[in-house]
Amino acid sequence: MQGHEAELQRSVARLNSLLDVSRALAMELDLESLLRVILEKATVVLEAERSTIFLYDPAVNALTSHVSGELSKGAVTVPLGTGIAGQVGLTRELISIPDAYADSRFSPQFDKETGFKTRSILCAPLLSPAGDLVGVIQLLNRAGGDTFGGDSEEILRAFASIAGVAIDRARLVSAAIEAKRAEENLRLAHDIQMSMLPRVFPTEAGLDMSAALTPARSVGGDFYDVLRVGERVWFAVGDASGKGVGAALFTAMTLTLFRATAKIAKDPGEALARINQELSRDNDAMMFVTVFAATLDIATGEVVFANAGHPPPYVLRPEGAVALETTVAPALGVIEDAEYAVGRMHLGPGDGLFLYSDGVTEAQNPAGDLWGTEPLEAFLRVHFSANCETLTRGLVVEVDQFAAGAPPADDLTVMALRRGPAR
Amino acid sequence: MSPLGRVDSNTSGDFERALMTREGEALLVIDLSGIDYISSAGLRVFLMLAKKMKGSGRRLVLCALAPSVEQVFTLAGFTALFTVKPSIDEALGRVSS
Repeated sequence: MQGHEAELQRSVARLNSLLDVSRALAMELDLESLLRVILEKATVVLEAERSTIFLYDPAVNALTSHVSGELSKGAVTVPLGTGIAGQVGLTRELISIPDAYADSRFSPQFDKETGFKTRSILCAPLLSPAGDLVGVIQLLNRAGGDTFGGDSEEILRAFASIAGVAIDRARLVSAAIEAKRAEENLRLAHDIQMSMLPRVFPTEAGLDMSAALTPARSVGGDFYDVLRVGERVWFAVGDASGKGVGAALFTAMTLTLFRATAKIAKDPGEALARINQELSRDNDAMMFVTVFAATLDIATGEVVFANAGHPPPYVLRPEGAVALETTVAPALGVIEDAEYAVGRMHLGPGDGLFLYSDGVTEAQNPAGDLWGTEPLEAFLRVHFSANCETLTRGLVVEVDQFAAGAPPADDLTVMALRRGPAR
Repeated sequence: MSPLGRVDSNTSGDFERALMTREGEALLVIDLSGIDYISSAGLRVFLMLAKKMKGSGRRLVLCALAPSVEQVFTLAGFTALFTVKPSIDEALGRVSS
């Protein structure tokens, strides 16, 4: 009678500590802290010498260990179905082994490596609320040389069901935080990119200019720039390879260098060569940026240009739109000593230029077809005489219709400029 | 090796990992006849590979480029950085001679 009374007292105490556990686990959202709390509590509540949690990774169909106590060593990964924990994970049934060395399922390998002496084992599956396998919890050696008898199995089942739910929730939370962080990075990249673009264009002598940049969700390092230096207007459209913050910073660096060199370089060829030298230094990631850069003399209409691997612009004249012939030179950032030859042309009154990035011609419709250069040229044939804002906006609408509203896969940039009419 | 499909921002990461497992080869011939599209992200993977291999005195040969793929290399101005052969036979022939 005394024995039963003592056993009952012990059960009540353990159930109470189980309640404590459920409160503690409900509070903990960080996965690592949660695992630590579970291991601590499991060891205490079930009076074990040590405990291990194996987390299940469906991608490799295996369990990876997280151990409590001083014997912790490197994480162990076991395929589902292997060993006692693997067996529990596979069958989702609790296993209790009173005498490990008398049981054929027990592998003494771990004991050999650590010097630990396993006597009794109690091992249970951890399941999510939806019933998916989250992991396995394994307790070794009931304290005091006893076995995991009495209500140990029931206590562990209750404990495991709480722990499984808590781990599943913590994993969902950390996945959500990771997704949020990636989202923040993208927003940061877009903010860096967009904040650097000029908002005001020169309007002297009837000059008409307009530019538009539609950023893609994840990829993108497009930019455009316009700045007035003396009698000339420097302008450029570029496209950095890569995505996210890396591409955004590379773009920002290119723009900064462009603004600095425009003030000192004699022409766009020299400017691109200097920018290229800077960008090529220590560029192990092999990021690169294609740039078409040019100057327009506002008074005379003389245009001097250089092209670093960028799609050539179109010249807009009364007779139509014609692709500008440019010398092919490497995109910036790769070949440190590359040279950039300049070309020259003249824009008469009312003549213009149309610049773009390959996000225009490589825009995709839902079927995966690319827009291509023919529709671009057809658009320019019809609209070449429109004012610059109509041109750039109209083209963005056109591409958007082709893509059927799907978000752009790559940044899309257009710039148009036109000299004022003759006076 | 003979990759197939598109090398764009969605697939270039996998492509890069696949290539980097082979970058230790003294000579790597890549048959690009199965590639119908390369974006700038894909081009960057080839540049990284070329730089690494050149830096350690190994050779990279690209062959059988589709016109649209070759144009990507040409327009970006990077043809000079690569040894390009019209066919895999020529790529291997040159190699053995």
